Amino acid sequence: MSLTIESSRFGRVDIDPQAVLEFPEGLIGLGGSRYALLANDPDTPFLWLQSLDDPSLALPVTNPHQFFAEYAVEVIDEDAERLGFDQSSAMDVYVTVRAAPVLEDFTANLKAPILVRAGTAYQVINQAPGCELRARLFAAPNGASTPDADPAC
Amino acid sequence: MLGDDTIIEVLEVRGQTVRIGIDAPRAVPVYREEIWLEVKRENQAAAEAAASGELPDVSGRLGS
Repeated sequence: MSLTIESSRFGRVDIDPQAVLEFPEGLIGLGGSRYALLANDPDTPFLWLQSLDDPSLALPVTNPHQFFAEYAVEVIDEDAERLGFDQSSAMDVYVTVRAAPVLEDFTANLKAPILVRAGTAYQVINQAPGCELRARLFAAPNGASTPDADPAC
Repeated sequence: MLGDDTIIEVLEVRGQTVRIGIDAPRAVPVYREEIWLEVKRENQAAAEAAASGELPDVSGRLGS
């Protein structure tokens, strides 16, 4: 069954049912229970989480491992139980991105990753020490070769 | 009210300090309020910060 929405940001979008993620608890503080993961542009490492409940709500996200090779997520027992995973579970991880006028100011929220398994997603608080709420994704042009956190946390 | 069954209540405001009570069912993890609020703000900021539907081409800028 295909799904079409009128997104404030993208206009009319046909949603591939495979791209729909159920967030039983919504994104923290934003609510909404269904989002589509949109990969609009293969040239960027960024994707969009477009709310299917609120056409005006969309957040950029990215795979943190593209930026922080060592990025790890630790969750509290309640989360592990809720998500129904164990050590061996395959899971996708995304982090929200705060865009900015210049790339050097783009940050990602490593503190609250989004864990996705089999079409169900939860935003959890990462218990790994040192994970930043706003971790820079790009180094300054004349600066060090890597962002300010590597390993990120 | 958060979702259908979690209630957050301001118990007391004293100067700069606000005490908040949370009544949540067992299955919903309760994170420290300040972290939860930080993440909420960050989510909102992320939703608002990208001014258009375009995000930059960053090829060549990704680390190794």
